[in-house]
Amino acid sequence: MRALIAALVLGCTMLLVPVALAEEPPAEPAATAAETPKDAAEERATQFVGVRGPEAESISGGALLLAAYAIVWALLFLFLMRMRGLQRQTAEELERLSAEIRASGAR
Amino acid sequence: MSSARQSGTSTVWSLVLFATLALFAATLYAIFVVAPVEQQMGIVQKIFYFHVPSAYAMYVGFGVSAVGSAVYLLKRDPKWDALGVAGAEVGTLFCLIVLLTGPLWARKAWGVWWTWDPRLTTTLLAGMIFAAYLALRSMGDAGEVEKRFAAGLALFGVVDLPLIHYSVQRWRGGHPTVITGKGGGLESEMYWTLGLSFIAFTGLAVLLIWARASVERQREQTARLRLELMHR
Repeated sequence: MRALIAALVLGCTMLLVPVALAEEPPAEPAATAAETPKDAAEERATQFVGVRGPEAESISGGALLLAAYAIVWALLFLFLMRMRGLQRQTAEELERLSAEIRASGAR
Repeated sequence: MSSARQSGTSTVWSLVLFATLALFAATLYAIFVVAPVEQQMGIVQKIFYFHVPSAYAMYVGFGVSAVGSAVYLLKRDPKWDALGVAGAEVGTLFCLIVLLTGPLWARKAWGVWWTWDPRLTTTLLAGMIFAAYLALRSMGDAGEVEKRFAAGLALFGVVDLPLIHYSVQRWRGGHPTVITGKGGGLESEMYWTLGLSFIAFTGLAVLLIWARASVERQREQTARLRLELMHR
């Protein structure tokens, strides 16, 4: 009887151990250098990696909207100022030419 | 010009000016209070209400320039040349607005400031053609040859306008097509806000072309007077 029990235990051990080993989750990899405890100085960033494309968006929509409307009003203002300058220049030229005509008429 | 006609013109000018100012006030209210914030893009989509009507005002300016230039080539009347110059300047102003406000919107919507999309590229091309027109006309007092060459350039440039308009339908690109396309379009508040903005920009374009053409005619008359005095 004892031999039978010993044979059963041995058989079960030989059958179940490989199955148990097969289903066991893979062993945790050895702790990396990054996970090892560090002091404060060692935790500082040592590189900057740029993110490109839409993920890189950090400008607020409000700022862009404000810039767009500012550009519209600024360009319109500059155009009006330019037109005013042209008008003034033309008026001065006309004044000068009128004076010349008056002077030539007086001669 | 008779004083009665001058007075009538001045009254019309004042009416258009006040109507445009009132429309701009209403448009700004509609943009920031009435029109909802767009779901995907957020508040930056509100650039749309100035960006698209500016593109339309650009069409008006360049179209007027082409008409003025074509009639000038046929009749050689300086008043049509003045209209051509005024249209080109106002069109270029609005083209610049389109080309500067577009990238601000695109940065948020597409993640880039600029892309060689067909509509963007053809708009830039139109701006460059009319910038060449203005560069040619800014070289002192333009003679007859310069005026005729510039008029031809305006007619060449206006061919690009249908390309800008239909580029989003004919060629693949990233530009939205909410007005000209067959998508979901706009919500009613957005639609009315855009309509109001279109009318305001039309008034503004008309006023600017009108004022600029008037200044150009005065400059032309002054130049002629100066020439007559020189030959006395």
